[in-house]
Amino acid sequence: MKRTTYLAASLIVASMVAAMVGWSMAAGNFLVVVIAIPLGIIVVLACRAHVDVVMADERETRIRSKAALRTLEIITIGGAIAAVILYSYVVSVPLAPVITGKLVIHDDSRQSMTITEYQPGSVPGPGTLVRSTTIDDLNSMNESEAMTYCTYVREGFRENEERGLAGLTLGFTLAVMLAVFGAFYLYYGRKY
Amino acid sequence: MKNRIRVLRAEHEMTQEQLAELVGVTRNTIISIEKDKYCPSLKLGFRIARIFNVDINDVFTYEDDKDGPASEDE
Repeated sequence: MKRTTYLAASLIVASMVAAMVGWSMAAGNFLVVVIAIPLGIIVVLACRAHVDVVMADERETRIRSKAALRTLEIITIGGAIAAVILYSYVVSVPLAPVITGKLVIHDDSRQSMTITEYQPGSVPGPGTLVRSTTIDDLNSMNESEAMTYCTYVREGFRENEERGLAGLTLGFTLAVMLAVFGAFYLYYGRKY
Repeated sequence: MKNRIRVLRAEHEMTQEQLAELVGVTRNTIISIEKDKYCPSLKLGFRIARIFNVDINDVFTYEDDKDGPASEDE
């Protein structure tokens, strides 16, 4: 088998496995996933064993090793910086939106409250206003006002929380990647 | 590390592809070795020497000035 045939066969097998996994997930039949993935790997390995030409030699291995190490270094440094920046949106006060609440007691003893959201790290003012809502009567607020009241702060911080979650996910992924690298490093260190 | 692979190949009327096949590497590896861009392993070095039926020292020459400890990473 030629190298191009092997690559084409691998591509077809990968596409078929992906389609089967997608279908099984949609259909809720998880048994197909358990069968399809190992079967796909076996087929690809069998094709690889029948390739006539040399697929990878010591130079190729060294190139891959160096490329993988450089990739790991860059991803680790870049990813750690990105994770810290993203997570800082959750804990940093200047990056969080400024939300103010103004309570007004009217002459008829009615209490109204205006909640206003301003741009992150800005001085509250008309130029930095993002949105504002007023609950006319705190003691007899209707359902939509109650909903607004409950979700206002959460809505304001949602973008920051999403970034924080992305930062945490990235940080966790980096930690797992480094742990796997460390495990393989120790394994090969003992082997050679 | 200097080598005489190109000369030995010419003497044996062997192409890069043929040599690569005989020692079990890709043609690109042979090209890189001939250009002194890649330093082969001892195993591959001995295999190449065996193909040409010569001593490994007749194929590869170690140059102290060039092959310092840092040369591997360059």
